[in-house]
Amino acid sequence: MTPRPGTDKPDFPWWLIAIVAFTGLFIFQALDDPIYQQVSVKLIKGVKITVFVTLVGFFLASVLGLLLAVASLSRFQILRQLARFYTEVLRGLPILVILLYVSFVVAPGLVQGWNYIAENIGLDPIRTRDFTFLWRAIIALTLGYSAFISEVFRAGILSVEEGQVEAAKAMGLNGWQRFRLVVFPQAIRTIMPPLGNDFIAMIKDSSLVSVLGVLDITQIGKVTAAGNFRYFETYNVVAMLYLTLTVTLSLLLRKLETKLRSKYP
Amino acid sequence: MRLTSILVAAAAAFVSTSALADGHLPDLGGKEVVIVTENAYPPLQFVDGDGNAVGWEYDAMTEIAERLNITVTYENISWDAMIASVSQGQFDMGMTGITIREDRAEVVDFSDAYMRSEMVMLVRGDEDRFSDAAGFAADADLLIGAQPGTTPFYVGIYEVLDGDEANPRMQLFETFGAGVEALKTGDVDLVLTDGTAGNGYVAASDGGLQIVGGPLGTEDFGFIFPKGSDLVEPMNAAIAAMQADGTMDALNTKWFLDYKIGQ
Repeated sequence: MTPRPGTDKPDFPWWLIAIVAFTGLFIFQALDDPIYQQVSVKLIKGVKITVFVTLVGFFLASVLGLLLAVASLSRFQILRQLARFYTEVLRGLPILVILLYVSFVVAPGLVQGWNYIAENIGLDPIRTRDFTFLWRAIIALTLGYSAFISEVFRAGILSVEEGQVEAAKAMGLNGWQRFRLVVFPQAIRTIMPPLGNDFIAMIKDSSLVSVLGVLDITQIGKVTAAGNFRYFETYNVVAMLYLTLTVTLSLLLRKLETKLRSKYP
Repeated sequence: MRLTSILVAAAAAFVSTSALADGHLPDLGGKEVVIVTENAYPPLQFVDGDGNAVGWEYDAMTEIAERLNITVTYENISWDAMIASVSQGQFDMGMTGITIREDRAEVVDFSDAYMRSEMVMLVRGDEDRFSDAAGFAADADLLIGAQPGTTPFYVGIYEVLDGDEANPRMQLFETFGAGVEALKTGDVDLVLTDGTAGNGYVAASDGGLQIVGGPLGTEDFGFIFPKGSDLVEPMNAAIAAMQADGTMDALNTKWFLDYKIGQ
């Protein structure tokens, strides 16, 4: 049987050469243009926020997603029902809507709740504004993405045949050993590609935090374009920065996938 | 002892109110005031070429802070989130050239007007089908672009078009800049803006844009506060004082005439 094209040995990455050449040409031209220089200097500051929001959000969403996946496969019906309820509701709402809910309903509610408790145990109350928009945004992204990621984990775990778990049981492996030695090494191959996809999607969706005024790449772009009247030039730089982040991440993920495939053949 | 302190407090209250009545400004004793703004409305507040947040409103606030003895800190927020968060009392004040409107006054308190703005008609450089609002309204093929819920939107609907907020000739855009791009590419034929931003875009467009006709509806800008805020009165007093002594005129000259924006 001939293998599928591109799986036996990797294609030469002409696409990468094309992207790098394109970026290089852009930077070369931009270096000469004072508008591009000015815009770039400002937008670089936003990269830190975008990366922070994405990394923290993705990490939290993965942890929550894994817990949800485990709950959705639990022996207890109540856990399965709760996990399903959460997943269906959060997956069914646009991230933008979750973001506004968290900011203007959940966050003030949490602060009120906390202050109620704090009052009774003699602590100083906090103000809603102490709960920064940055963290509200991160929580919203976490909630939204955990629903997607839990489905990825669930599919991965289910992809391992039940017979193998039975066999591992018969060999006397305990629950943790069965997960660590039998289920995880096989599940991870199913999990990695869609999980990486969600990671890349999250870099882009992190731009939604600009709706709250969090100074990520997109919001700084918006503010910069409003001040310099150079809409197109500004968004060129915005696009370049996002592409640099997403393509770099994509390359790293591919590498990790290949590594995992050779480690757990 | 207790009686003395009450008397002192009463005397202090008397002194401060009588000071206000004399036309002097109240002393708020270094009170912390958190102000939110977006920095996306030049020249009121924007980020200059060096990355500093500057503008008319910042200068005015610095002056007000000194006169009222308040300590101001700024937070960034988007326009979409501003009225909601100020009305919930998450911040003490919002400033971004907010037009004083009755429907908004139901959820926030406004200061007195500190600025009056006029809208101008921004069109493509080669536009020759109309040269004023009536000419634009008469040709049903012509489209106008605006951000929903902003002053250009309402002026466009009520003073240029027929007063129907669902009029299909009004195309909606997420940001003002996006509307201007749509104007350049021909998706819409008219964008309304206040004079300063309009001149900025014309100067940056290399002949691609021009301003036609006379100014349209006037709008009064005010700062917004949570309902019942005790800052409104001192702010109004400071605004009145700065209008009376020429500070506002000096700021207008600095930011609307002398400052060369986007260059």
